[in-house]
Amino acid sequence: MRGSFFVVAVLALSAGSVSAQAAPPQEYMDLARSIFAELIEINTVNSEVGNNTTAARAMERRLLEAGFPREDVHVLIPSDAPTKGNLVARYRGNDTGLDPILLLAHIDVVEALPGDWSSDLNPFEFLEREGFYYGRGVTDDKDEAAIHVANFIRWRQEGFVPNRDIIIALTADEEGGPRNGVRYLLAEHRDLIDAAFAFNEGGGGMEKDGRKISNNVQLSEKKFYSFRFEATNPGGHSSLPVRKNAIYDLSAALLAVADYDMPVMLNDVTNAFFSQTAEIIGGEMGDALKRVLANPADMEAVEFASQEPAYNARLRTTCVATLLDGGHAGNALPQTATATVNCRVLPDHLASDVARRLEALAAPHDVTVGWNGRERDSPASALDPDIMGAIEMITEQMWPGVRVVPVMLTGATDGSALRSAGIPTYGVSGLFGDMDDVRAHGQDERIRIEHFYEGQEFLYRLVKALSGGGIA
Amino acid sequence: MKRMFGRAAALSLGLGLLPSAVFAQNTSPQEYMDLARSIFAELIEINTTDSERGNNTVAARMLAGRLLDAGFPAEDVHVLVPDDAPTKGNLVARFRGRDTGLEPILLLAHIDVVEALPEDWSADLDPFEFLERDGYYYGRGVTDDKDEAAIYTANFIRMRQEGFVPDRDIIMALTADEEGGSRNGVVYLLEEHRDLIDAAYALNEGGGGMERNGRKISNNVQAAEKKFLSYFFTGTNPGGHSSLPVKKNAIYDLSRALLAVQEYDFPIMLHEVTEEFFGRSADLVGGEVGDAMRRIVANPADTEAGRILSAADPGYNSRLRTTCVATLLEGGHAQNALPQMARSNVNCRIFPTHDPDEVLAQLQALAAPFDVEVEPRGEATPSPPSPLTDEVLGPIERITEQMWPGVQVIPVMSTGATDGLFLRREGIPVYGVSGLFGDMDDVRAHGQDERISIQNFYEGQEFLYRLVKALSGGGIA
Repeated sequence: MRGSFFVVAVLALSAGSVSAQAAPPQEYMDLARSIFAELIEINTVNSEVGNNTTAARAMERRLLEAGFPREDVHVLIPSDAPTKGNLVARYRGNDTGLDPILLLAHIDVVEALPGDWSSDLNPFEFLEREGFYYGRGVTDDKDEAAIHVANFIRWRQEGFVPNRDIIIALTADEEGGPRNGVRYLLAEHRDLIDAAFAFNEGGGGMEKDGRKISNNVQLSEKKFYSFRFEATNPGGHSSLPVRKNAIYDLSAALLAVADYDMPVMLNDVTNAFFSQTAEIIGGEMGDALKRVLANPADMEAVEFASQEPAYNARLRTTCVATLLDGGHAGNALPQTATATVNCRVLPDHLASDVARRLEALAAPHDVTVGWNGRERDSPASALDPDIMGAIEMITEQMWPGVRVVPVMLTGATDGSALRSAGIPTYGVSGLFGDMDDVRAHGQDERIRIEHFYEGQEFLYRLVKALSGGGIA
Repeated sequence: MKRMFGRAAALSLGLGLLPSAVFAQNTSPQEYMDLARSIFAELIEINTTDSERGNNTVAARMLAGRLLDAGFPAEDVHVLVPDDAPTKGNLVARFRGRDTGLEPILLLAHIDVVEALPEDWSADLDPFEFLERDGYYYGRGVTDDKDEAAIYTANFIRMRQEGFVPDRDIIMALTADEEGGSRNGVVYLLEEHRDLIDAAYALNEGGGGMERNGRKISNNVQAAEKKFLSYFFTGTNPGGHSSLPVKKNAIYDLSRALLAVQEYDFPIMLHEVTEEFFGRSADLVGGEVGDAMRRIVANPADTEAGRILSAADPGYNSRLRTTCVATLLEGGHAQNALPQMARSNVNCRIFPTHDPDEVLAQLQALAAPFDVEVEPRGEATPSPPSPLTDEVLGPIERITEQMWPGVQVIPVMSTGATDGLFLRREGIPVYGVSGLFGDMDDVRAHGQDERISIQNFYEGQEFLYRLVKALSGGGIA
């Protein structure tokens, strides 16, 4: 494994001087890879077999062995959830009156069933193949966790003294478990993570057909809501079927959702995103985006732009069926059938309006829609010139010509909890990925090896630049 | 409970006696009604679902205890438990007759029941609590099939206490896992204890009386049954993050395939038993539906007649064709991830003369446009019809006329699969006959709030008593 890794790394280095500039020194690439592999192979799903505390302790050990003082490295475990531990570590800087920078990453991952993955892959075995690293969490979000830890160690070994403290928080249950690490830290250990601003997942580089298009900075995000669709029926013996059936009713309601598009709604961040993107990509799609910006009621343009899932999800609230359950015996007509419909709601779209629309789709099929009934805010972070300036300069340095694009994230991250707590959060990583092959949460999750190390170097330079280290 | 039961029984009997003497003739003496009720209640309250909580052996042992207490010798009462399934015990008991060279009659009932979740039932009912209310007994299994099991046991005890000596042995087999568990009792007994259950023919569930709007229409004798086979419908997809949905989705693919199954009707088919069924039912039913029955027997290609029958009753529909229906659903792996897999169990009841391979090909044709795979879960057991002999049909017709004058005996094909399948396949003819009437518009077997009319339960008890006696040399009173 290690041999083949070297070959790939050497190839990448000899391919061009851009790559050479974009990669960290070999010893810190080795370090990041070793931490990354260890982290992937610790199962941190929200289940009986997953344990976030084990992963937090592994990262704690890495930092202590590298010489960080005991009092600056904490594994913080909720008393009611022993497997949901979080790591918080502090890199001490000069006291110049500047508040710290918080580097946030979650180390829990979405469930992955080996049976769903390709037969020669195991989601919890770190595997390198043909220029990619494979494993559950290699793009969401153990890559950033491993990079933050490796960069902490690198700065320390290089003797870097920042002009403010830098904090790492590697947290639990971002993916939906019951003991969200960021909420726990905000509630119980706020002093340990308080910061001027935070960097988090949620941004990243967009690649299409192997070409780097933009380095995205996430400034806002959609709201996460799940709705429960339920059909009921008196049931009966399956040898005497009737047309009316809970499973068929539910199926018909879900297909109504599948065929329905929520209305197009633009906001400041998505306006900026689409106008920049239109310039970058040009062509027919670029024209369509411009037409949508000029007139969101141009249905032909909207339809064309919506073919791209990433654009569709930024034009409107989306809803999709993700879980199904129904029936009670193989030889009985079903008495209940339920589905979870997961919606990503635009920041200024009321969840109650989404609920009303879903109810209108489901009611003709005698399917009910349930939800928690709570409206939530999702404030955007400000376009700070110091932060955006550093991101733009380093992006130009590493990938000349690649634009920095402000974005609204379609997924939900812990950034919303930080933003709501008054800590502006920027989703930025310099980690590029193919926008047509997003495998986070899905099967055969992978990251391009070269992108991983470029992301490592980008975050190293960016955090250094914003903590008094300048830009090399 | 006991007192309340007494009052209700007296009320219904009293009401029955006033207009005619028929009801008085139609139930067993009070002590044997009490006995049957007591066995029935105890059996309902023993959970025999195929689950962690269910235990068929407990039920089999309870019934064995009843027989032994009543004086049956230990060598004629067996609780037979498969080595690999300690909770899947079966009861086999033998009522000894004179040796006249006649082979025994086998009385078969299963004592396992379909799963019932208390929260699916009405709030004031518990599927595993025997409850009497407004002229009905409620509980999981009161119609399928603990009613017959309790009746056989009570009738064995009655015949013994009355000193009846049959001209052949009568065997009772009360078995496990008819409803789909892993250790089917009839299969086990045929393989391991065939000598204990070998018989000239068997009586089983699968028939019974049909009632509509409170009127008894027919006493059905099941002589054939449909084949049972389930299929997995599976949609697969690479999945992904649910914040970036795409049109192609395993759940939506599966939904489309299932709606195609809902909309599809298999072709109309007929054979001897269903021809008899529709032919004899036509006059009883009358009107447009009765006409349609005559028309379909005359010409199975009369699709308009088929449409009328299918719309009139799910039971007619299911006797005209193979039916398939989605019964179970599962899919997805996380609420925030696009589903990689969505699957449904589609349960088919295949016409005896319909080739299961054709059914599979048809289902695949329905599902393929949506990229949904269809695979059979095992193989369908062949199900040859049992011959309609005078030896068996004669007494059934005479006792039916005696108890319910004017009610027709109608040979039927059962739409559900019973254990009769395994006996028929082994050369033991099976007749589904019980004299237990039920409302054909309110079939609750396998469903919620399962119930049986109290009056119908006791009439069934008496009918089976008379029938078994008639078939074993006791004549008809």
